[in-house]
Amino acid sequence: MKRVQIMLLIAALALAAGALLAYSAPLDRLQGEFTRLLYVHVPTLWIAFLAFGLTALGSVMYLIRKKERWDRLAAGSAELGVLFSVVGVFTGMVWGQAVWGQAWDWSDARLATTAVMIFVYIGYLALRQATADPEKRARRSAILGTIAVVQVPLVYFSVNLWRTLHQTQSIRPDGTTMDPEMLVALLVNVGAFSLAFIALLMGRMLVTRLELAAGADTELAGDTVSPPRLSEIEDV
Amino acid sequence: MSLWRQSLEVSRVDLLVERRLGDTYRIVLPFAVVAMMIFSLALPSSVTDIGDVGVAVFWAVAILYGMQVALRTSLTETQQRRDTVMLLGLDPAARFAGRSMAAFVLLSAFMGILLVAMILLFSPELPRGWLIATLGAILLASAGLAMLAVLAGEVSAGLRNRSTLAPLIIAPLVVPLVIGASQVLESIARGDGILVWILLLITADLALLTVGVGLAKPLEEASR
Repeated sequence: MKRVQIMLLIAALALAAGALLAYSAPLDRLQGEFTRLLYVHVPTLWIAFLAFGLTALGSVMYLIRKKERWDRLAAGSAELGVLFSVVGVFTGMVWGQAVWGQAWDWSDARLATTAVMIFVYIGYLALRQATADPEKRARRSAILGTIAVVQVPLVYFSVNLWRTLHQTQSIRPDGTTMDPEMLVALLVNVGAFSLAFIALLMGRMLVTRLELAAGADTELAGDTVSPPRLSEIEDV
Repeated sequence: MSLWRQSLEVSRVDLLVERRLGDTYRIVLPFAVVAMMIFSLALPSSVTDIGDVGVAVFWAVAILYGMQVALRTSLTETQQRRDTVMLLGLDPAARFAGRSMAAFVLLSAFMGILLVAMILLFSPELPRGWLIATLGAILLASAGLAMLAVLAGEVSAGLRNRSTLAPLIIAPLVVPLVIGASQVLESIARGDGILVWILLLITADLALLTVGVGLAKPLEEASR
């Protein structure tokens, strides 16, 4: 518990530093104040990729080792991945409305594949929710978590595969197209959001462990009662 | 008994059950044709040539209703039958392959009939060479959808909400198949090559086959 609190405090300080840098960084001439959305949009979607990657790692490791902590890692990461990707998509929509003149464009491959990726993990979370037995839940969701990760590279490389509205990556192995001050602000925010993700993940994993220890996952009401089959009762 | 032989046997039993029940052709197929009609009735008046949307409607209906066809066996299978198959010592990979093959046969025929219905209802303008390309896309999309449905059916086996959960699991994962299959005809119409889309479909199918066979054992354990 103490470690989670310390991590949350560090993450809060890092986010404050990131916000300060985002506020002081120069603005794009055309985008104006909307440039600042970049410091939330990019880090949140980067965290979403990281989270879904961790879900796959946790799933594969659970299938190999059968240790419950890997399942907790996969589940916690998936929940946070969905949360961060929704925030990322929302900030992207606000930016798109202001700069492109439209919040959503179905012909854009990045937007469409991101939306699909979110639904893949909503399905993963629905499967977890539907399975009451913790061991069954872990085994089933580990298989789905292993399959689901194929969407992540599809989303990341969609801007390279289909040349549509969304711009390609600004930071590439051969250099960057960004102003140095903006780049520093962006990288600090990526680090800060990463720390926030780690803190939240640690907290979620702790809560799941406590829930399991408390036996919070029980059968639905009615499942413990088996009435006699009326068709089999003979009339007296 | 070899793995291949076991797969064929599983497939044969599934198809035999389907022949006796006839759910696919007596229920799902008419339902899918009605859905195509509803789509055409719901189109805005700005769509002057209904043939323009025929192919898109066909793929949307074929994939969505194809899920029902492919999932039918998994969703109706009882725990007793599942246990019996396991006690018989059937190879889990053969079970996966066999069920996928049966679903593939049903889906290919289902989509083929639906294609004819679409041509009759929408009268689309089809480019030269459309038939072979569309049949190829149908076969590859059917194979992918069949394997995906078997995987989703297994992970949701025995759950009380499996009939709604399994389609939710499949629908977003089926996107590479929808993109690949629908782009084949569009590329021909534009005069572009279709190889990239065929490769996308083959890659998706191979990935699903690898995952399905590789995870067959944990999949069987998970569905217990």
